[in-house]
Amino acid sequence: MTDDKSTMNRREFLKGAAMGVGAGAVGAMLVYSYSPWRTRLFPEVKRKLADIGTCKSITITNISETSWFENADLMGDIKGAGGLLVNQYDYNWPPFGDGAGLGKGSYEKGIAKIKHLLPDRIDEAWAITEKLSVHPENAGGYACLIELEELDGTKHKYLLDTGWSYKWTDECFKREGIDKMLQNDEIEALFISHEHFDHFWGLPVTFKYNPKITMYIPDGFYPEGLQYIKDSGHKGKLVKVKPGLMKQIPGMASFVFAIPIICRVYGEQSLYFNIKDKGLVSVTGCCHQSIIQFAETAYKEIKYENDNLYGVYGGLHISPFEDWDPKYDDLVISLGKYGFEKVGCNHCTGIVCAKKFIAAGYPIVKGTARYRSKDIAYLGNGDKISFGV
Amino acid sequence: MEAMVEERFGAGYLEERKLVKRWAGPIPAIVALVFTLAIFYVTWWIFQDPRGMMRMYTPYVGYMYTRWWLIVLIWMVYIFNYWPFKRKWLETTHPVIKGTVLTAVSVGILYVLIKGFFEGLLGNFGLAYFNPGQLTKLPGITEFFAIEYAALACLMFAALASWLSPAWIVACEEAPWQDLKQPSKGVSILIVTFFLSTLIYFMTMHSHMGILYYPWQYFTSIAPPYWEKFANTVSGNFHVSWIMCCTVSVWLVETIWERYPFNLIKRDGLRRVVAFFGIIVIAFAMHFFLYFAQELTWGEAIRGTRRDAAPDWRWLHVGEMAVFFLVPALFITFYCDNWPRKYSMPVNVLIRTGITIVAAVALYVFYYKTSHLFLGTQKGFSHPQQFPMIPTIWLINVWLAHHWFMDNWPGWKMVPKTAEEIAEDHAAHQAKIDEVKWNPTLGWGLGTGALAGVALYFITVWLLPVVSQSVTIIK
Repeated sequence: MTDDKSTMNRREFLKGAAMGVGAGAVGAMLVYSYSPWRTRLFPEVKRKLADIGTCKSITITNISETSWFENADLMGDIKGAGGLLVNQYDYNWPPFGDGAGLGKGSYEKGIAKIKHLLPDRIDEAWAITEKLSVHPENAGGYACLIELEELDGTKHKYLLDTGWSYKWTDECFKREGIDKMLQNDEIEALFISHEHFDHFWGLPVTFKYNPKITMYIPDGFYPEGLQYIKDSGHKGKLVKVKPGLMKQIPGMASFVFAIPIICRVYGEQSLYFNIKDKGLVSVTGCCHQSIIQFAETAYKEIKYENDNLYGVYGGLHISPFEDWDPKYDDLVISLGKYGFEKVGCNHCTGIVCAKKFIAAGYPIVKGTARYRSKDIAYLGNGDKISFGV
Repeated sequence: MEAMVEERFGAGYLEERKLVKRWAGPIPAIVALVFTLAIFYVTWWIFQDPRGMMRMYTPYVGYMYTRWWLIVLIWMVYIFNYWPFKRKWLETTHPVIKGTVLTAVSVGILYVLIKGFFEGLLGNFGLAYFNPGQLTKLPGITEFFAIEYAALACLMFAALASWLSPAWIVACEEAPWQDLKQPSKGVSILIVTFFLSTLIYFMTMHSHMGILYYPWQYFTSIAPPYWEKFANTVSGNFHVSWIMCCTVSVWLVETIWERYPFNLIKRDGLRRVVAFFGIIVIAFAMHFFLYFAQELTWGEAIRGTRRDAAPDWRWLHVGEMAVFFLVPALFITFYCDNWPRKYSMPVNVLIRTGITIVAAVALYVFYYKTSHLFLGTQKGFSHPQQFPMIPTIWLINVWLAHHWFMDNWPGWKMVPKTAEEIAEDHAAHQAKIDEVKWNPTLGWGLGTGALAGVALYFITVWLLPVVSQSVTIIK
């Protein structure tokens, strides 16, 4: 009898306890999880304040920001091939066209058509791929030249990215004298921001003029991309930069973000420059991580002049296809509080976004809309911007 | 003279069918898992996979069809009780034929709904953003994004319908139309849930669509949206988050919770109201906690950033995480006969919930570690065009079709229960409910359990940053 009663009591207690656990946990979740008290439990942010040194100034020449010329054609291809998650090597875009049609390509079949011509005979290679690819006339590319002056007056030149179309990239290189700089070994290294077609596939154009150039790529390249570097005739040093900070020379560092990107690309490398007495300048290819994330990362990771975020150059990946999303408004609304003094945006920032920046009163450096750039709302092809000069 | 038997279609079909295992032990469940995963993968390749045939994972087009297919399945089974299919046909047709026919019907309804109602009717005569053709008339918008934006609007509507449609059955118990015949009952519930979905859509999603275009549509929507300060974003993902949690909560209540704790309330009206709003309360608890869990793991969200640090993505990820809980919960109910059943209802529910949480976490880790290797997606947590809700809901849809349309074939055989068996089931279920009665010992247990629940919460909160620092899911 007593045993029965005790069993009953235990059973009743457990029943109640089971009910209570759910109620207690759900109640705590509801009351505490989004309350102001929760912030006390956030992981503490410690500034690492890594010293990357300082430089006197940088000047950036926009070799090309027009990655493609017609949004409708590019997005039509993306739609036809199956959307933004399709592997970029499968689109059958140049230079990897094999004549099989949209969305049916592959790196292996495409490169087989032109590999024997790389890197020296890029004109012939492009002529072949033009016939086999989808929308070859739409290919442009992104590349810029960074000229850095150290405090003692020593000068350095770097390329950030190397375009897409061999034809367009070569034309732009010649227009800005990049071909000669490469031939004369004036450009010390090629930094690739990420593996995307419009930043990376014009690689043989750089190697045509200097196949021994040192190359820095973000960790996360797919096997096709790594093979392309070899197939394009690279004979120099290849550095795969791990996620995080990598100091380059005084006042310059790169930072790799391990992030997934559309068209099956992974990882992006962006550049920091610490300008003496001015502050930090961020130079990006596409900045898929967002310019605010890049600024926040700088705050956490490195020491920079006056603790001031001075300037920005490059694609800010907000509205690359002139599309929009309310989350982009979050960026437009929030950017002001970071206090950038000079914003030279272009490329995947999007014209709509540049106009929103201007409307918000941000210090946007306008361009000249030359060489097929479409709007003066941002820095166009052939335009230059300097920080610290 | 033979009495006329009233046609009930599928009313009560799910509870009045007896699923008899063809083999002992876990073999039927394993067979069901293998079978449904095979169907999942084949259909994924045909319809969704970015490397596959139709490549609908653009992502929004595939996402829209996935979400609306889920709702159509719910409509067919829960709201319309399989109408117009007759009971005899449901009971006697081979599961494969039944599954094929009913699935084909669901896909037909889905197509008419998207192309006819949303794009054709609403998009041409009401809100332009439901129709890609109307959107392409805007300057600068490409066909791709016109289709994506229209699909986004449709799927945001779907998020609401996927919560409200089952909620009217699970929480409101079909009231006040529970005694109507089909299709009158189904039409009534469809209209009221669709009306509510429309109302809440305007209050939660329309402003998102209103600022999707340049310039902001001040005259047609609240811009910036009213939730901006509270949610730390202007994105409607804030609402997607809690609404997804509502969807998940409804199904947790319906499956592994057997409508507990709301079924303890005796008065019908009170029970229904408390259940409807209680589900929302549970959903908000989940909504806030899963957001907090991300703050503890990845640090405070920073407005204006992208990817895993952005508030809009984190709200979306709350919904994504919530769906991971639904997968094991449905598996336990559909294929494990809601194990365990031998304890009291609160204890059974607690054990099932514990198993679901552990399985959901394991599934989450497995998904992010491996899905890019076989789904054609990409590794990483926060790819902006990648939604784990698509494959998880696609799998759930396959399970629903398998469980509702195919009676778990081939692992189980469907036999209609006799009137006695149905009565016994009802009595046993009622006994489980009646067993939970207030007494001082239960009260002490309740108090102790509540304290333990709060302690469990804070232990989890304390552990999350520690565990996230020491575990790398994506290398």
